[in-house]
Amino acid sequence: MNIKKWISSAIMLSVALVSSMSAVQAASDDSITVYSARKEHLIKPLFQAFTQDTGIKVDYLTGKGGALIERLKLEGANTPADMFMTVDAGNLWYAGSQDLFQSVQTDILKSNIPAYLRDPQGLWTGLSVRARTIVYSTDRVNPNELSSYENLASEKWNGHLCLRTSKKVYTKSLVASVIYHHGKEKAGDIVNGWVNNLSATPNAKDSHVMNAILAGQCDVGLVNTYYFGRLIEKNPEAPLKLFWANQDTTGVHVNVSGAGVTKHASNAAGAIQLLEWLSSAKAQAIYGSLNKEYPANQNIAADEVVSTWGSFKQDNMNLSQAGILQSEAVKLMQIKGYR
Amino acid sequence: MKKYCLSSKIWISLLALLVAMPIFVVAFSWLLPEHELWAHFSQNLLPNLISSTVILLFGVGVGVTLLGTVLAYLVVMVEFPGRKWLEWALFLPFAVPAYVLAFVYLGVFDYSGYVQVWMREVLGLPGFDIRAGSWAIILTFVLVFYPYVYMMTRASFKRQKISMIEAGKLLGASPIRVFFKISLPLARPAVAAGLLVTLMETLADFGVVSLFNYDTFTTAIYSAWGDFRSIEVAAQLASLLVLVAFFLIYFEKKARGQAKYYSADVVNKKPYQATGTIGWLISLFVLSVFMFSFALPMLQLVVWGWASVGEEWSSKYFDLITSTSILTISAALITVVIATVLALPGRCKQGSIWLKSVIRLATLGYALPGSVMAVGLLYGINQISEVNIHWGGESINHLIFGSIALLIFSYVSRFMAIAYSSIEASAQQIKPVFTQSARLLGASRLRLIWQVYLPMMTPGILAGGLLVAVDVMKELPATYLLRPFGWDTLAIQVYELSAEGLFERAAIPALIMVLFGAILMGVFQYLDKKSSKTS
Repeated sequence: MNIKKWISSAIMLSVALVSSMSAVQAASDDSITVYSARKEHLIKPLFQAFTQDTGIKVDYLTGKGGALIERLKLEGANTPADMFMTVDAGNLWYAGSQDLFQSVQTDILKSNIPAYLRDPQGLWTGLSVRARTIVYSTDRVNPNELSSYENLASEKWNGHLCLRTSKKVYTKSLVASVIYHHGKEKAGDIVNGWVNNLSATPNAKDSHVMNAILAGQCDVGLVNTYYFGRLIEKNPEAPLKLFWANQDTTGVHVNVSGAGVTKHASNAAGAIQLLEWLSSAKAQAIYGSLNKEYPANQNIAADEVVSTWGSFKQDNMNLSQAGILQSEAVKLMQIKGYR
Repeated sequence: MKKYCLSSKIWISLLALLVAMPIFVVAFSWLLPEHELWAHFSQNLLPNLISSTVILLFGVGVGVTLLGTVLAYLVVMVEFPGRKWLEWALFLPFAVPAYVLAFVYLGVFDYSGYVQVWMREVLGLPGFDIRAGSWAIILTFVLVFYPYVYMMTRASFKRQKISMIEAGKLLGASPIRVFFKISLPLARPAVAAGLLVTLMETLADFGVVSLFNYDTFTTAIYSAWGDFRSIEVAAQLASLLVLVAFFLIYFEKKARGQAKYYSADVVNKKPYQATGTIGWLISLFVLSVFMFSFALPMLQLVVWGWASVGEEWSSKYFDLITSTSILTISAALITVVIATVLALPGRCKQGSIWLKSVIRLATLGYALPGSVMAVGLLYGINQISEVNIHWGGESINHLIFGSIALLIFSYVSRFMAIAYSSIEASAQQIKPVFTQSARLLGASRLRLIWQVYLPMMTPGILAGGLLVAVDVMKELPATYLLRPFGWDTLAIQVYELSAEGLFERAAIPALIMVLFGAILMGVFQYLDKKSSKTS
């Protein structure tokens, strides 16, 4: 074969390719640019509805929360992003602590979203609520024996518990809330009890936890309710049920997905408009039905399927605490050997 | 002569140092103030992580070496039923991202998978936690990564002198003895190169280890960054990975030794004919490797994908396929061109420790986890901006972040090692006598490169290009962070869907990737055959 021709055309082609595509895409004036750690299939329908309502175009770039925060930091004043959207209060809090958000406290947001789901300084706003609670096998567990997260650390559940990995934000924020309510020492004992009760290596995903319960590897676990919702949708006969944890004490641990307007937004007005729209009844209904989460706007009823699981008392610890205590929580889990 | 060497040294150094930029950024993290996190890590995390990483590397290393060399030997030296298509089929697992295979294996073989359900319900055996211990994850890595060793060793076996093997046979040595005493020692450099790539990839892996929840050194890197928000400690930890890679490369060089094996002829006739029961047993063995590493997982993906094709398929896929193709092809071409420049034999290179070191440096990026490398690049550019601002200029961050050029640069930097090791191996097979006679004939250096070196390096260039292309196609973390708006790839689509637990839908982009990879392999096979005919 003619390697010379091959190589010279290769060089020409690569130079042409790179030079033609290196230009940074310039956004048009009134469009809004969003960096999102929420996955594309969950945000695209929302942005499409927003564009339909207002005529304003939304460009978005998905990515992992931590990586997008680094990118935002380094882009500084030149960032194309007007809004940063992510899951987990810890990530929102951290972005706020890095001075990436501007304070937005409008009447609309205040009336749509309760205070404990918003940052006290208005840096970010929770847009959907995700409850993390107990799931159990209806074949092998009497719900009367269940009560709280703390109770799952008791000897009774030795060899019956499945948990998701400590590396996932939902676990970290839950343990942060345990530290908030009980202090570090008692929280350490609780985590220790969980680890001792495990019947399998902590799972990578909530869906794996539920599969393990269905297969009989364990009997109880902790999951975000929307994962349960998806499983039940596919397999309505599954012998699994949710149990609302800590109803006599602190309430079910909730987390949020949310967003804030970036400090250096070139279209801050548009971003605020989008944020307010996302908190509105219409957007909140889409939010819930897309992913079986709970609306952050308390005037909206949850999705039909979600409503059948009943209402419950939420832990109303301000979610900034989950962010503040998160690294303590991780340290604790690493010390106690919770993988 | 000296002047000529100086300018060529400068150019090669600049090129290599540019490619090695992320390595420098990571290494410079040690200049930052010490972090209190180190106390916690070294007390509570690192002891376990280091031992589990060593166990993993050892197990995977032994496994891929055994499987890769045995398979390569069988397909090159032995004629057995089905050999022709199995020889190519064995490459296919390489087209599947490791985390996709790991995902399927877990779905099938974990406690709740149907294999264990069947074992419990039909055979009455007790169930077990497949993720406990390290054997299952080692086996997974071996099945995913053996193609590296297989591919490189196969090429080496193909260029061994048949006459030596025939001589061994005449002396009455058994095929197994010939394998250990003649073929394997001759193929040692190729085995070592394949092993090196495998170990570096295992070190940098994050996807498979997180699915198994198996803690390795990367766990600490991600914990420092994700949990404790310390990009400095993450970079410091990552630089230790680079150091390990550096030693691995050193040992690989040692393993190659001073010996250089020149060979011209290509194995066409198989020295051994396996007929009857032995032939079928060999077929069965090779076939079962293919089944477990590729066919069965793909079948599972097809079953998953079948149910969701209506829901998932949309015109969006044309964009995904277009951007994946453009990135894959341009990154592979650029990487291969640079690797070839670095690997070309030359008088100036001989004996220059400086050049050898900078080139080594340029190949270390492979040991960095993709997102560490990506963030390292952003920090490196930010540093250039700050110097520029210091001199009264402006920040260049917004011009470069999110540009195709940066993304492709990250691929070049990360995958240089694979292209380089493959191309350099073929450069080493050029007999000095060619260079000498060309010089005696008064050929210029340019003509020497164009008419002697490049044609002889073609197999290595092709193999390197293929490896890089497939790796770029599968790459996730750097692409995810650095891509421009609207440049989603198939790998990103697989990740976004499977991260949300939508595995059935994730099967669709995964299958397209496999198809894509298979096409690349087909092109490679065609070019490889063509080049071995002409060389």
